Amino acid sequence: MRPALTRLRLIARPRLVLAVGSTALALVVAGGVLGRGGPTPAGHRNVSGDNVAVRVPTTDLLAATIARQQKRLRAVPGDWATWAALSSTYLERARVTADPTYYPKAEGAANESLRRRPDGNADALIALGTLANARHDFATARDRARAAIAVNGSSSAAYGVLTDALTQLGDGPGATAAVQRMLDLRPGLAAYARASYDLEQRGRVADAVDLMRAALDDAVDPHDAAFCHSQLGDLAWQVGDVAGAQREYSAALAADPAAIAPLRGRARTAAATGRTEAALAAYADLTRRTPTPTDLLEYADLLRVAGNATRAAEQVQLATAANGLFTANGGSDGITAAAIALAAGHPDQAVDAARAEWSRRQFVDVADSLAWALHHDGRNAEALPYAQRVVATGTHAAGYAYHLGMIELALGLRDQARTDLTRAVQTNPAFSPVDGPAARQALAGLGPA
Amino acid sequence: MTPIPATPVAAPRGRWVQRRAVAAVSAGLVVAASLLGLAPGSAFASSHREAPLTAADPSIDTTDFYAFVSPDKPDTVTFISNWIPFEEPNGGPNFFPFATDASYIVNVDNDGDAKADIKFRWTFKNIDKRANNSFLYNNGVVTSLDDPNLLFRQVYTLEKWTNSGKWQQLVTDAPVAPSRVGQASMPDYKKLRDQASLSLNAGVKSFAGQADDPFFADLRVFDLLYGADLSEVGQDTLAGYNANTLALQVPRKDLALNNNNARNPIIGTWATAERDRVQINGFAGNNSDDSRGNASINKYGAAGKDRNNTYDDNSRYSDKNANKNKDSRGYRANRDNDQVQVSRLGNPLVNEVVVPAGLKDEFNSLSPEKDGKIKELVDRVLYPELPKLIEGIYKIPAPPGPRNDLAEIFLTGITTKGGGPIKADLNSQLNNTDVSANKFVASEELRLNMSVSPVAKPNRLGVLAGDLQGFPNGRRLTDDVIDISIQAMEGAAASGKLVDALATGDKVNANDHRFFANFPYLALPNGQGVNTHVSVSTNKAGFLGGGYGGGAPMAVSGLAALVAMTGFLFSWYRRRDRTAVAAAASGSGTATMNLTGAPTPNGSDSGGARATGVTQRPAANSPAAPASSLPPSSVPPPPPPSFGGHRRRNGEDSSLVEEKSGTDRGDPGNDKPDDDGYIII
Repeated sequence: MRPALTRLRLIARPRLVLAVGSTALALVVAGGVLGRGGPTPAGHRNVSGDNVAVRVPTTDLLAATIARQQKRLRAVPGDWATWAALSSTYLERARVTADPTYYPKAEGAANESLRRRPDGNADALIALGTLANARHDFATARDRARAAIAVNGSSSAAYGVLTDALTQLGDGPGATAAVQRMLDLRPGLAAYARASYDLEQRGRVADAVDLMRAALDDAVDPHDAAFCHSQLGDLAWQVGDVAGAQREYSAALAADPAAIAPLRGRARTAAATGRTEAALAAYADLTRRTPTPTDLLEYADLLRVAGNATRAAEQVQLATAANGLFTANGGSDGITAAAIALAAGHPDQAVDAARAEWSRRQFVDVADSLAWALHHDGRNAEALPYAQRVVATGTHAAGYAYHLGMIELALGLRDQARTDLTRAVQTNPAFSPVDGPAARQALAGLGPA
Repeated sequence: MTPIPATPVAAPRGRWVQRRAVAAVSAGLVVAASLLGLAPGSAFASSHREAPLTAADPSIDTTDFYAFVSPDKPDTVTFISNWIPFEEPNGGPNFFPFATDASYIVNVDNDGDAKADIKFRWTFKNIDKRANNSFLYNNGVVTSLDDPNLLFRQVYTLEKWTNSGKWQQLVTDAPVAPSRVGQASMPDYKKLRDQASLSLNAGVKSFAGQADDPFFADLRVFDLLYGADLSEVGQDTLAGYNANTLALQVPRKDLALNNNNARNPIIGTWATAERDRVQINGFAGNNSDDSRGNASINKYGAAGKDRNNTYDDNSRYSDKNANKNKDSRGYRANRDNDQVQVSRLGNPLVNEVVVPAGLKDEFNSLSPEKDGKIKELVDRVLYPELPKLIEGIYKIPAPPGPRNDLAEIFLTGITTKGGGPIKADLNSQLNNTDVSANKFVASEELRLNMSVSPVAKPNRLGVLAGDLQGFPNGRRLTDDVIDISIQAMEGAAASGKLVDALATGDKVNANDHRFFANFPYLALPNGQGVNTHVSVSTNKAGFLGGGYGGGAPMAVSGLAALVAMTGFLFSWYRRRDRTAVAAAASGSGTATMNLTGAPTPNGSDSGGARATGVTQRPAANSPAAPASSLPPSSVPPPPPPSFGGHRRRNGEDSSLVEEKSGTDRGDPGNDKPDDDGYIII
């Protein structure tokens, strides 16, 4: 007997009762969301210092930082700067643990900081901007970042929030300028990681790898090292380097055994290289830890391929529940909504969701989502320009080329389809357990040029 | 409660399993039940790319900077810069490397133009023999710096640059003293320290590695502003923590303008860290305008590979970049390329007390020559916030602005040549014989008159107590910069009187460990975790909930600390008629600063303090009040009226001779005095 349900009941407060579908599998959601106490700093196994063989560094730096800040604030509640810093630490923790229960805490701490110091408080604005980004409220994040920059024009973190917001809002040049400013203010992991993503989006994968390696060199906190390794794994995976990707994911998990992103990477690489059982287990583990809708949908895809339609449907229901929760909390994520609608067989709803998101932000992922929804709704002529726009940015993900190729195929543009589908499978031969075979089948049907 | 078999899997999930609710799942429960615990606003978003925003990057955080005439070699100057705050000794256990992608620099401005004339630069590389994915620091007892059991170590190159243009290597591949990770691993740490203390050519000594953090203060004075119990103040809250130290000893003639320390004994100095500038815009990336909308076909060759990036899929992750940007010795190359200054420190507490919140990031990137152009910065010196806060709360009158005395301390050096109110010529480059005044640029530097010889018993209050070798004339390890800064902010430098009500300072008057008699002087690193025995009670109230353990102090906002400290002092204030120092005794009512042959504060020194090349003059434009001078150093300072610090001996400023308490943490047990014994510097 695990203490789970007891704990769940202890924690539960009837604040938010949602009737979001009826599947009980959503308890998995709860398992992922609830009950995370503060992790114990893990270093105490060797705390005596008398172990000749010393493991380093296992202390959870974020937990230690939170403890320190909490201690400070208990003694000095008026310390607005520490309130803001605590908010930012909560948000880092929410990020590395994928645990959104830190969001309200972070919001409260930032607002407390602002209440005690309403003017000239860039740190609190940065925290609130970070929170808005995490909640996909990118316009608010952009505005918070600009307000912070007005107070402190040399804040690298403020430009980091701005970079993230502008990226997601589809303002590529603005994001590049913001991350360059970040690099000029404080070269280091946070700036390198964003610059790497910027370059990756522009198709400069090798440069992106270089910068992510530079970021890794600066990583002190194992969580940060795990992040960099995971990104390096994704970059390797993106160009079909399965072995390289797996090496990086292993390194990420060695640095932070609780990291989520490398689990996702492992699940993907296992699924796409035919190790279905391992992949299913990995997805089950992943989605139980953090029931993110996109992961649940990938899991559903794989279950479907493995012939387990019932379980697949359950995952789609779970994804629906999780996204419904996000929406009920005031969030809005049209990409996820569209993907769920497609998985549930409602392409018209998918188009509506993606179009609504596109009206808010013109980011490549949104264009891709809208194109694919239109394709499934049989509106390939409408879909084509969106899919072309995605690929024109230079971004390398095979899935984008696959979507474009399939749309072209549907429109009878056989040469273009052959080219783009070929590019998809050559960029990353195992890019998807579902789409990869479909691409090859389509190519076979197309025949040689 | 019936445990329900979990689907899809119920495998153990590592160490988190016990920490998290593991939800059992059944096909009959309603979703809503599972969602009860979620506070509003805490739902998942689908992941987008979220990178660390405030990643820990302590290796480029400088904490303290010291520059002093070496007590055992008065013809040399020692620079000590400390990095990485709050290193917890083996509490993780952890080790703390210097950054390999940063340059650590000590800058020297000997002509007063606010630009470096001499730089010393440290760059590091790792020698990492750990197996893949192993985190072992050492694999057995470490008895020497090149012990094979030390799996991860660092070496450094130290270079010197002069404004004649070139970098000159002083040493390459010099060993870094390792992080002290435990008595069993490193039973004789002093030996490792000694091996890492190098004597180089031309009288230069160098050390890089871990040491006890020499800064001492009670940061808990914060609590006073909020009604906390005062009884515990007086403890060095930095005790037990380590820092990474770069120590360098250089003959003073090699620092002086024109290599003439008789004519030009004054330097200004500050520490910086730099990283390479990275440029990502301006690339002809694929989303450049001319490629936009041009589909993507032309970017891919027949094989489907990306023509923009030529790489081998199988090899590109096998250390493809390991040697990129490295020079032939394995260090990062191109250190002379465009650099970004990421850290800067001259005078202590400037970033906390002088620089306003919105300018702290700016200041870290600022070169000193620009200081005077930042009006907000200058205003914060001339019209400081701290005395006003103190007046508002504690009714100790704030000296009226503009505070040209503080401008002398922070921006020009103490000199009569700038028309400032302090009637002394101590440590401005303007007092160097060969400096041309019209090239002088006010800037924030730690200024040192290298001709003031060491005294046997330094006064922790330095110049304000008549001990001219101490802060703000350079900074020694024993200088109580918090107390000095409060006194200076309250006008002691201009009035010549210590503010008696504040004379006890934070009641932490010395470091918890004694310093060594010779280079690099610092105490050995602490060997046992500060917080090993500390438990913090869980408090789930409000946003503080979480119940994390640990209790390290945090870096604090110095201004608030100083205000709080003032309140503490004020509450302890016992009125004394004795002024801190006698007013100037030149008889004419015109203050005269006696800098030559000044005896030590305790009168026990044989007259070592000698300032050459520094003029002693009547203050021509002195205000009428005779008090407007530095205290004549012939008058011994009074003992502080009271103190509660358990590490201090009554009435003695040089409390370093006292045993450390060792009550709240373990003593390393290994850093016994060597043959040289300990001295006070």
